[in-house]
Amino acid sequence: MFAELLFFGLAVMAVVGAIGLILFKHPMNGAMSFVVTLISLAGLYALLSAKLMFLVQLIVYAGAIMSLIVFIIMFLNIQDRDLPDEKGRGMFLLGGAVIITPIAWFLHKIVKSLPGSTTDILGGGFGGVKEVGLLLFKNWLLPFEIVSILLLVALIGAVVLAGKREDGK
Amino acid sequence: MISNYLTLSIILFSLGILGVISRRNVFTVFMSIELMLNAANLAFISFSRLHISMDGQILALMVIAVAAAEASLALAVVILLHKHKGVLDTNIFSTLKG
Repeated sequence: MFAELLFFGLAVMAVVGAIGLILFKHPMNGAMSFVVTLISLAGLYALLSAKLMFLVQLIVYAGAIMSLIVFIIMFLNIQDRDLPDEKGRGMFLLGGAVIITPIAWFLHKIVKSLPGSTTDILGGGFGGVKEVGLLLFKNWLLPFEIVSILLLVALIGAVVLAGKREDGK
Repeated sequence: MISNYLTLSIILFSLGILGVISRRNVFTVFMSIELMLNAANLAFISFSRLHISMDGQILALMVIAVAAAEASLALAVVILLHKHKGVLDTNIFSTLKG
């Protein structure tokens, strides 16, 4: 009962944060609103007994990635006149909602037909650091190494793209 | 019930799509893409709980690593765009056509 209340509270917070992200005009307000969504999602991961993912979501996503985005938004010093004028925003929002709602409703029907399972918190180390780490380095070693190469490529690419300095400056 | 979590994931993904198609601010579009990645992560972790197997959580971990790489590259492109054109409008990316 308590877990269900917690789920509905966190779900409402996540949806409100996402709506704020797509409605706020200034990206700084949108980023702050998106952080609310990310933190609520971390709480939902904890309710799904994914303990390591709860930590990673808070530290890496809400911590590192969002602080990088907020840093860049502040670094560019965006004023209201720098923002693009979005006149057709409401029309696109309405049209998109008309197209997406039936698809989402259909997916919701599919999801409802899944065999129901209770979401009690699992003990026994399910989703803990040791268990996930052992699985990661036993069964998922090759994808892990490929991700490390991807991160190296992204690092080099970011330095090449953003580190360029034009002559005479 | 696990289906509530999956429904929430569908709602968040739809909101991400709406953000991408209705906004022109490059930061908002970028964060909407991140929102869609997070909705996918929530679905992965819900199915991981449904089947009581941790493979879904490892896939979600991979998605977070890819999102970090994507964030660094996308923000580098945004800085370049702002330096050369001085705007934050996604329509300006049409100049990337050959």
